[in-house]
Amino acid sequence: MEQPSEIAVRDTPTWDRPIVLIPSFVLLSAIGGLFPSFSLPANLYVLAVGGTMLWLGLSGRLPRRPAPRRLDRAAAWWLLPALTLAAVELATFIGGSTYHSPTLSLLSDPVLESYLARAALYFGWLTAFWGLVRR
Amino acid sequence: MSVTRTLAITGFLVAFLLVAVVEVLARRERSKIPTLGELVGFVMRYEVGQLPVGRIAVFGFWWWVGWHFFAR
Repeated sequence: MEQPSEIAVRDTPTWDRPIVLIPSFVLLSAIGGLFPSFSLPANLYVLAVGGTMLWLGLSGRLPRRPAPRRLDRAAAWWLLPALTLAAVELATFIGGSTYHSPTLSLLSDPVLESYLARAALYFGWLTAFWGLVRR
Repeated sequence: MSVTRTLAITGFLVAFLLVAVVEVLARRERSKIPTLGELVGFVMRYEVGQLPVGRIAVFGFWWWVGWHFFAR
């Protein structure tokens, strides 16, 4: 039986709206961008933030978008970018992940050294994580 | 810049470009291709008994991505 919309609205937490979430993610990203890679604070922070997202996503406390019950065969088109990415990553990894054969993470290292880029990518990671939580 | 480095960078750029192209194709009217969000949502529906294996796997993967790029 379908849930009346009034109840569904009441069940949504008051903080679950863009005007609250976006500034929160900006703040979390601004803090996350401060911690350099390989540092203990960076590890603890990403574990805490990711762990909170995981808990929210598994708790079933938040409303979720309806997902399709089955996919059309045309979904196989997604194999094209997935296999391309996997092939390049595997080839560069087998090549030793060096300057001449860089993996994606090796290429991203110089970018992530900049605070602004690091904070912006942190924001993207968090926002996408939130999108997954609501799926 | 060496040829292999150029090839690797080009390969990654092509992969990301393909993601954008397939997503645009999926968003066309009457498209049979699911969007990336729909595809992920479908994967996240997968359960074994009461265990939401799909959700755990997708969350675990994305958590690892964050840890790999921001912490390791």
